[in-house]
Amino acid sequence: MNDSQAATTVAAFLSPRRVLALVAATILASLAQSSFALPLFARQTGQNCVACHAGGQFPELTPYGRIFKMTGYTIGQRTIPLAAMGVITNTHVANTSKSDDPNSDFSKNGQTIFATGSLFTGGKITDNIGAFAQITYDPYATQDANGNYHGHSNADNIDVRFADRFINPQRDLIYGLSLNNNPSVSDPWNTAAAWMQYIPVPSPSSNQFIDGNAPYPSYAAGSNIAGLTAYGFWNRTIYAELGAYGSSNGALSIMHAGVAPEDQTKLRGLNPYWRLAWTHEWGPHNLMIGTSGMSAQIYDDPLDTSDPSTTHHWRNLMLDAQYQYLLDPHSITAQLVFEHTRHGYPGFLANQPSSFVDQLGNPLANTNSVDTSNLLRAKLTYVYRAKYGGSIGYFNLTGSTNTANQTAGFSPDTLTITSDSTVAAPSTRVSGNLTGNPATQGATLEAFWTPIQYVRIGAQYTAYSKFNGASTNYDGFGRNARDNNSLFIYLWAAY
Amino acid sequence: MKRAIHPASAGRPSENKMKLAPVLIALAGAALVAGCANPSRSRDLANPNVPAPVLAEQVCSNCHGITGVSVSPNFPVLAAQQPQYIVAQLKEFRAKGRSDPPGFEYMWGISRKLTDAQIEGLAKYFSSQAPAHQPPEVKNASVREAGKAIFTGGIPAKNIPPCMTCHGDKGQGNANFPRLGGQHADYVEKQLLVFQRTNERPEGAVMKTIVHDLTPEHIKEVAAYVQSIG
Repeated sequence: MNDSQAATTVAAFLSPRRVLALVAATILASLAQSSFALPLFARQTGQNCVACHAGGQFPELTPYGRIFKMTGYTIGQRTIPLAAMGVITNTHVANTSKSDDPNSDFSKNGQTIFATGSLFTGGKITDNIGAFAQITYDPYATQDANGNYHGHSNADNIDVRFADRFINPQRDLIYGLSLNNNPSVSDPWNTAAAWMQYIPVPSPSSNQFIDGNAPYPSYAAGSNIAGLTAYGFWNRTIYAELGAYGSSNGALSIMHAGVAPEDQTKLRGLNPYWRLAWTHEWGPHNLMIGTSGMSAQIYDDPLDTSDPSTTHHWRNLMLDAQYQYLLDPHSITAQLVFEHTRHGYPGFLANQPSSFVDQLGNPLANTNSVDTSNLLRAKLTYVYRAKYGGSIGYFNLTGSTNTANQTAGFSPDTLTITSDSTVAAPSTRVSGNLTGNPATQGATLEAFWTPIQYVRIGAQYTAYSKFNGASTNYDGFGRNARDNNSLFIYLWAAY
Repeated sequence: MKRAIHPASAGRPSENKMKLAPVLIALAGAALVAGCANPSRSRDLANPNVPAPVLAEQVCSNCHGITGVSVSPNFPVLAAQQPQYIVAQLKEFRAKGRSDPPGFEYMWGISRKLTDAQIEGLAKYFSSQAPAHQPPEVKNASVREAGKAIFTGGIPAKNIPPCMTCHGDKGQGNANFPRLGGQHADYVEKQLLVFQRTNERPEGAVMKTIVHDLTPEHIKEVAAYVQSIG
């Protein structure tokens, strides 16, 4: 970021809108404090957020928070089952000039926006049943022909549970069932794909290069499907979970409520998900080492599930570890995930000729029938008095080169680099790919302040050393990985 | 849950609708019926009919341990604690009288709807447990020895009485004077600082005078010693 860009950013944060937003948030916070009305689970238990969230940072759970979840959100008393969350953000990307269409690629750059909001419901229902359900609103979900954005709400994470616990001084068994819409949303550790994230995660359209949009462990099957998992936690040491996911049809269509048919994930049959973890607590420390995975067959076109040969075969395998040191006033947490992904393409997409050639005019390799990739994500966080925190994160995605990923290459006609608008990825320079390789690497630094437990103000800076396979000229037209470096400033509030 | 997939029909939406949903709904329905009332394993903190031992096992044990010996020093050991002391503390939490941060953050909510009978039952449950016998948390023996000197002899020059006068020669406590033996050193240290520097524990006002002249080092030493005599 150069000086003028920095000045622009500062100016943006002193804008009347931002000041108004801060005042509004402060009023909201005061109301929250004076009425002692807390977000859903805190109201249910009467406890402070730090009881369940490590250092007060969401969504990372303490050992007690994990048990609260595993026992089906049933600790406490029934309460008004509603809570809300809103996020105001401002993002700034290092370079907006190397773009075919800056107005489209960076339409929200440098603007203070209401990025996203969520409504939560659930909590304790009976002695054995509880729920966590989130509906999320994206103000920039769609853009019309005139360039105007339109908001949209849809089902986000949904986790409905039955749980029971048999405990005495000799043994302790928690077991349960989770009906959910997102593989690993049921997981109590925050290295799980559904939970290893910086909070808040803004609308992707607000900036495509903030940390929330950088490579994260994930299950290809996505978050609008339906699955039932059974889990057990033995003597607070061994956690095991096994389940199966399918398309969210019929009565379970609530799992994809608000998601357009063409954006839904359609699975073939039932697809297995598994999780195994060992954990140990000693003094103020706790450690988890685990593995999880899923095998999924996903239809290429969610609107046409008539032909089983059109499915993609995905296999995600993860190894993860989490360490926490929680002793007031300090919270130190470390998370590490390694994910191996195998992606088998349906026959009609595999082994297809490329529209590009090499610089001498020779044909390129046909597209792959199988891609593999490896992703490493690590994060280290420190929070003092549940108020002042900072973290450093690292991500490194490597994978097989596939000409199907190329958005640009040498034209057979001119032997100069051209882009191809017919390939799957958007053929803009910003998200382009010259090499066909997915390698993306970088780091994120964050500092945040939680003045009261329902309000958080933070700044993240994400720097890229590689993007879409290269450090420099990743798009074929001169855009470098570091041009995507992004500053992300947010105000998060929940009530 | 396994299901044979017939290649010719696997993808039809109407069939998918029929396959997964009824199974899941039936299971959810069964779970709902089974889960309506379960007082023998309830975690409901607002139901006076849930027996205290059930609450102790299902809720309290999460932080304080099923044997009353907490793993994390953020949470006090309750095993063999004096029952009168447990009753007094739970009632203080319930009335929002004790407002030190851990008490406020964790215990106000937990205790807000407990009945007197449940509080009495919880006190009986934890006070009946075997006292904690844990390895010394502070490894430096000279620190513990210095603490022992204060615990058994006080600091006469500062008019600080021996802790054992009220808390017992083995730190076993007595009625409203809590057991200290085996308590986490970090917890004891932080609570002594709460007494010394704040008015957040009005029920322990007597301690404010007693610890007034203790130095931070003295506090660390005493805390190290009492933990080791569990």
